[in-house]
Amino acid sequence: MRLGGARRWLVLALLVAAAVSAGSGVMNRYYLGVASEVGINVILAVSLNLINGYTGQFSLGHGGFMAVGAYVAAKMTLVFGEQVGAAFQPLLFAGALVAGGGAAALAGLAVGVPSLRLRGDYLAVVTLCFGEIIRVVFQNSAFFGAATGLSGIAPWTTFGWSWGVAALTVYVVLALVHSTYGRGFLAVNDDEIAASAMGLNPLKYKVTAFLVGAFFAGVAGGLFAHMKRAINPEGFNFMRSIDVVVMVILGGMGNTAGVVAAAVLLTVLPELLRGFSDCRMIAYSLLIIVLMLLRPQGLFRRSGKGGGL
Amino acid sequence: MSEKLLQLDAVTIRFGGLTAVSEVDLSIGHGELVGLIGPNGAGKTTMFNLITGVYQPTSGQVLFGGRGLLGLRPHHRTRMGMARTFQNIRLFGSMSVLDNVRAAMQLHRRDGWRQALWRGNQARESERGVESKARELLAIFGLEERCQENALGLPYGEQRRLEIVRALATSPRLLLLDEPAAGMNPTEKVELARLIRLVQERFKISVLLVEHDMKVVMSVCERIAVLDYGRKIAEGSPVEIRRNPNVIAAYLGQEVADA
Ligand SMILES: Nc1ncnc2c1ncn2[C@@H]1O[C@H](COP(=O)(O)OP(=O)(O)OP(=O)(O)O)[C@@H](O)[C@H]1O
Ligand SMILES: [Mg+2]
Repeated sequence: MRLGGARRWLVLALLVAAAVSAGSGVMNRYYLGVASEVGINVILAVSLNLINGYTGQFSLGHGGFMAVGAYVAAKMTLVFGEQVGAAFQPLLFAGALVAGGGAAALAGLAVGVPSLRLRGDYLAVVTLCFGEIIRVVFQNSAFFGAATGLSGIAPWTTFGWSWGVAALTVYVVLALVHSTYGRGFLAVNDDEIAASAMGLNPLKYKVTAFLVGAFFAGVAGGLFAHMKRAINPEGFNFMRSIDVVVMVILGGMGNTAGVVAAAVLLTVLPELLRGFSDCRMIAYSLLIIVLMLLRPQGLFRRSGKGGGL
Repeated sequence: MSEKLLQLDAVTIRFGGLTAVSEVDLSIGHGELVGLIGPNGAGKTTMFNLITGVYQPTSGQVLFGGRGLLGLRPHHRTRMGMARTFQNIRLFGSMSVLDNVRAAMQLHRRDGWRQALWRGNQARESERGVESKARELLAIFGLEERCQENALGLPYGEQRRLEIVRALATSPRLLLLDEPAAGMNPTEKVELARLIRLVQERFKISVLLVEHDMKVVMSVCERIAVLDYGRKIAEGSPVEIRRNPNVIAAYLGQEVADA
C-alpha cells in the first residue's frame, strides 16, 4: 500500500537485470561472478530476515535449506539437461530452481513446525543441528554423489537470473510485510500474547515465515549450484548459515534495505581484501566487529514505523 | 435476546496451592456495561485470562453466545467476538499507531498472503478500507493526529486509549477493559468514562470493566460484581454495591463509600 507501484519497481528491476545480463558478453567475467554472488547473498539475507528479523525467530538453518535447493535443482538439470533442446533450457532451469525452493520449503516446514514452541537460543540450536543433519544426509547419499558431491552442473546462473530472483525476493518480503496481513509477522515478534488477543495465530505466522524463508534459500542454493558448477556437502556447513545471520544482524533486524546493503558489503569486502592473503579472514572479521560497534542498530537505523523500508 | 452473551458457570482456577478464582458465576447480557472490582490480587486479571483463553479453568465452564469455549485458544475467541486490553500495556512496539490498529483488523479478512503479493485492485481497495476504518476509530479516541508516530512514543494515557482502539478494531461484541484508567489524570479519566459509554452505544457492544478508580466504575457501569480472594462476594447496581457491608469490609470502608 505504502509501496505504491511496487510492482512497477519489480518489473523495472527485472528488466535491468535482463538487459545487463544480455550485454554481459563484453563484461569482465570476474566482476560478473562477484555480482552474481552478491545477488545470491541478497536472496539469502533478505529471506532470512523474514524469519529472524521481522518474525523474531532465531534460525541458523539457512545453510541447510540452501543445500536442499542446491542439490535438488542441480540433480534435476543434470538428469534432464541433455534431453531438452537449448530453447527449453531456461524453462528447465526455472523449473529446477522452483523445485529446489519447494523442497527447501518442505524442509522448512519440517523444522519449523516442531520447533514452534522453542524460542531464541533453543530454536537456534535446533535449526543448527537440522542443517548439519541435512549435510550429513547428502554426504552419505550415493544418489547425490556422497562426499564428492555433484559436478558438471551447467553454468546457467547469469547475472540476470541472480539479480532477477534477488529483486523478486525483496519484492515478496516487502509486499508481505507491509500488507495488513503481514503486519502480523511484526505483531508476533513484538508481543505474542497481544497478537493472539488480536485474533492472529502466532504459530501460523511463524510457520509461514519459515516456509517462505526456506523457499528462497532453496532457490538461492539452486542458483549457487549453477554458478559454481560443482557442489559438495562441505560447502553448506554451518559457517554458511552464520554468514547469512551476520548479514541480517549487520543490516539491522527487520530492515530490508539495510540487510541488502549488508549482503552487498559482506560479499564484496572479502574480494577487496584478497590482497591481504593470509590476514584476509582476520581483517574481514575485524571489520565486522568494528561495524557492529559503530552501528549496533544495523547499517541503517530501524525506523520508528518498524519494518523500515 | 434471552441468551446471555457471556456466561461463567462456577469457574475455578488453581495455580499450585493458590485458588486464584473460585467458583465464580457471572453473566453479561447483550449491550450491558458490567464492572468487576476487588482489592489487589483478588483475581480480576485472572478472570480476563480465563475468559479470553490465556488460561483454561481447573473446573467450571465459560460460554460465549451460548457456545462452550473449552480448549479454544485466544485467537479463536477473539475471532468469535471478544477483545481485551491489558493491565500492563502490550502495544506492538515496533509499529506506528496506525499499524497497531491495522494489525488488529486482519482477523476477519480473507485477504492473506496472495492478495498481499499480487496487489490487484481488489487488494488495494481492501487495504484502503482497512486504513480508513482504522483512522475512523483512532479519531473517536482523539488519536488521529498520532497515526504515524511510534506506539510506544505516546504519553501513557494515549497508549491506554490506543489499546482500546486496537481492541475495538477486531469488531468485538464483548470488550474487556483491564484498568483502562490506570495512570490517567482526572480529566483524562472523565473523558475515558465518556468514551467507554460512547463506543458501547455506537457499536452496540457489551463491556466488562476492571477498574480501581471507583468514580469511573460507578459512572460507567450498570451492574458491578465484586471479587475478593478469588470469590465473588457481591453483585448489584452501583448503589447496592456502595452500601454492601461485605464490600465495605473488603475495601476497609474507604474508596467505595467515598465515590
Ligand atoms: N500464572 C499464575 N501463576 C501463579 N499465580 C498466579 C498466576 N496468575 C495470577 N496468579 C495469582 O492469582 C492471584 C490473582 O491475581 P490477579 O492478577 O488476577 O489479581 P488482580 O485482581 O488482577 O489484581 P490487581 O488489581 O493487582 O491487578 C494473585 O495472587 C496472583 O499472584
Ligand atoms: Mg489485575
